[in-house]
This record gives sequence, structure tokens and C-alpha cells, in this order.
Amino acid sequence: MDDVSFRVLPGRVTGFLGPNGAGKSTTLRLLLGLERPDRGDALVLGRPYAELDAPARSVGALLEARSFHPGRSARNHLRALARSSALPDHRVDDVLAQVGLTEAADRRAGALSLGMGQRLGIAAALLGDPRVLVLDEPVNGLDPEGILWVRTLAKRLAAEGHAVLISSHLMTEMALTADHLLVIGRGRLLADCSTAEFIERHTEPELYAATPAVARPALLEEAFLRLTTV
Amino acid sequence: MSMTTAPRFPDLLVGERTKFTSLRSTWWCLGVLTVLGVGFNALVPALMSGSWNTMDPATRARFRGDTLGLVLQPGAEWAQIAACVLGALLFASEFSTGMIRSTVLASPRRTPVLAAKAAVFAAVLFALGVLIAVPSLLLGSALVSAHATLALGSPTTLRAVLGFGLYLALTGVLALSLGALVRHTAAAVATVLAIQFVLPAALAFLPGSAGSHIAQALPSAGDVMLGSGHDASSVYSPLQGLLILAAWTAVAYAAAHVSLTKRNV
Repeated sequence: MDDVSFRVLPGRVTGFLGPNGAGKSTTLRLLLGLERPDRGDALVLGRPYAELDAPARSVGALLEARSFHPGRSARNHLRALARSSALPDHRVDDVLAQVGLTEAADRRAGALSLGMGQRLGIAAALLGDPRVLVLDEPVNGLDPEGILWVRTLAKRLAAEGHAVLISSHLMTEMALTADHLLVIGRGRLLADCSTAEFIERHTEPELYAATPAVARPALLEEAFLRLTTV
Repeated sequence: MSMTTAPRFPDLLVGERTKFTSLRSTWWCLGVLTVLGVGFNALVPALMSGSWNTMDPATRARFRGDTLGLVLQPGAEWAQIAACVLGALLFASEFSTGMIRSTVLASPRRTPVLAAKAAVFAAVLFALGVLIAVPSLLLGSALVSAHATLALGSPTTLRAVLGFGLYLALTGVLALSLGALVRHTAAAVATVLAIQFVLPAALAFLPGSAGSHIAQALPSAGDVMLGSGHDASSVYSPLQGLLILAAWTAVAYAAAHVSLTKRNV
């Protein structure tokens, strides 16, 4: 990735797309300080992530499923993170309720199903009630109910005024969830526009014209492939 | 949200303490550590007192010259196995489970994360070491009373009690640092145990006084700080033993710090 810069605005879900290996996860890991750039800076809210005063209140992130110790309960996992971030303990109960894990909170996290583990990851991201929420491939491996849950949550959080960034390679899912798209490929940012505009701009004109408006989200895959495969 | 305080180091300490106490393996290891510590501190003096009549004069002289070491060192040598395993697991498991991603997202500055983890572990081991040393001394002085005396109230004994805590704390932080360097639970435990047990056994075969100087400069030989300082087989004083162990721990900690701040997680 070279000189990529984008804004993720509050009030909408921004989809982060790119072919496998295009550097979606790496970009997010750079922004959140898990990796260091070879050259230059990775800035979030104008500063390196590690220099934010209260990172958990600024950005919440789900980077990979299973970012927890399997022997610790979901509640204690969140408690430790909340205390490290100087957040009050009641935030733990708040986010457990928000993701629907209250019942399972005292089970070993390792015993949670994939979908519940993903909910725990999202709960951790929500702990600080952050302005920006970053979800890297949040629906990977989820069943239809789980996928719908993530989509609904992302839209609700955006409607509440958060900036939500979701990376995915699942086009139909992105077409249904994202208001705005960032597309990377060939080491740079290929598109930064609304989802509807992206589809209109990158679909074959005849196909676009022949498709009824309600079915146009289904054209995202076609548009994406036309843009990224050269 | 109403609260807007930025996290500070004490918050990290509380977070790391929560992590430490919320795993069952912690309590297992601390329980095993206590049993091994008190158990071997009682067993060895009891066996030696029991075999007094068949003991050669040199061993008797050592028994009387360093009764303090006889009563505290066996437990320390065994208890440190549990401290090493737990220490290596504490950091290596962050990497092997993926927990490290949650940790550095919540606390992206890695220097204080390492410091907080080490501080919590060192404090627990120091307190537990003192808690093991006190009953060990009471029990030990009763067990050896037929052949030797322990001056329970003396400054040397007090120094050895604190030494027990320091020995476990420094050894634990050494293991924790190696866990942060190696990042793999099984490899970290194997590395730590090799340094603590295999190396001393191998170096014990080195001939002459140069050989014993080298063998006793290993971190595990820091247990000389638990003795009276009058054991003829020790080439370093209790204070030197402490400094040697502290130096090893400092080097490992510094290496862990560099690795943690430079490498991706």
C-alpha cells in the first residue's frame, strides 16, 4: 500500500473492499498500531493510534476472531480490557447486553461458538463507546442469523452517530450493509464514493439500465470485478 | 459517556491483575508453588536430620555452617519451577491465544504493558515467597533442633526471608520476559526450564574453580541469597547472588522490551 488516505465519516457504514491480498487487513493493522509502516505514518484521528489519549474511547476494533484467552470468561476478558482502559466496570454489563452475551458471560470464552466469539470481539470493540468502529471481516464463518445481526448492529451504530468501517470480501453483504465504499487494489485506493454511485459508475451501462433499482445492489460484484481485475 | 479520563499506569496494573487472577492456571501454579516450597523446605531438613548418624563430617559441617540455606533453598529450587512455568505462560499465552491483539488495542503503548504485567507477577511472587519462608523457618528450626540452631530473629534470617521473595520474583520476571521473547507457550516453558535446570546440571561438570564460578553465575544459583553466606561450596556471597540473578532478569526484560516494541503482534 502506498500513500492511501481516506475519511470514515460518522453516521454511515463505510465498506472497505479489495481482492484478497490487496492489503485490507494490513491497512487496518497499520492504522491500529499492530504493525509498523516501512515508511511514513499511519494516522487515525490525526495521530498515531498509540498516541491517542484514550484509544478505547476513540476507536474500537475487531481485527480477528478469537482475540481472547480461551480459559477466561467473557465477562473477565471484558473486565480486564475495561480496567486497562480506565472504563467503569458497568460498561462490561452494557456491552454484554448490547451483543446478547449476558447469559453466556460467565462461561469460558473458549467454549463459545464461533458466532458468540465474534460477538465477544464486537463487545470488546464497543467497550469505550468509541467514535469510530472498525470491523475486519466480521461475518466470516457466521450463519445467516449472525450475518443479519452484524448488519443490523452496524447500521444501528451508524444511525446513532458512530463512524463504522467494515472490511469484507463478500460483495452482496457489503451492498446490503455499506452506505459508502472504499475500494483498494493494485496498492492504491481505487474508489471512495457512495455504494449506489460506485455501482452506477462501474457496471456496464446496458446491464445497469436493464436492472430494476431494487435489484441494483446485486450488481456490486460485477462492478467490483470490472474495477479490480485488469 | 460521562467519564473521560485517559488510562494511566495504575489502570494497566489493575487490568493486568484482573487478567492474572481470572485464569484457573494461575491458581493451580501458585498452589503447586506453595506446596513445593513448603514441602521441600520441610522434607530435606527432616531427611538430613534423620540420617545424622550416618552423615560424613563434611556434610555435618555444611549442615551446621549453613542451616539457613538447608532450610530455605530446597523449597526455593522446587518452587521456582512453578514460578518459571507460570511466568513463561503469562506472556507467551497472550501470543498463542491471540489475546495480545486485544491487549495492544486497549493499551497500544507496549512499554507500560510489559511493565504492568511484570510488576503484578513480581509483587505476587514476592509476597508468596515471604509467606512460604516464614512457616518454612519455623518448621525447619524445629526439624533441625537436635543438631543445629537457627537464629530466627537475626538480621541474616530476615534477609533470607526477603531473599526468598526476591528470588521467586526475579526468577518469575525472567521467565515472563522469555515468554514475551519466544511467543510460543511450549517453547517458552522449555527455554526457561533449560536455563534453570539443564544448564546448571551441565555446567556442574566444569572442572576447577573457574568451572564453579561459571556454574554459579547462572540465574538459578541466585538462591545463595537464601543461605547464611557461610557455605564453603558457594563462590559468591548472598548479595552477589542477588545481583547476578537481577542482572540476568534485567537483560531478559530489556530484550523482551525491544522485541515487544519493534516486532508486529
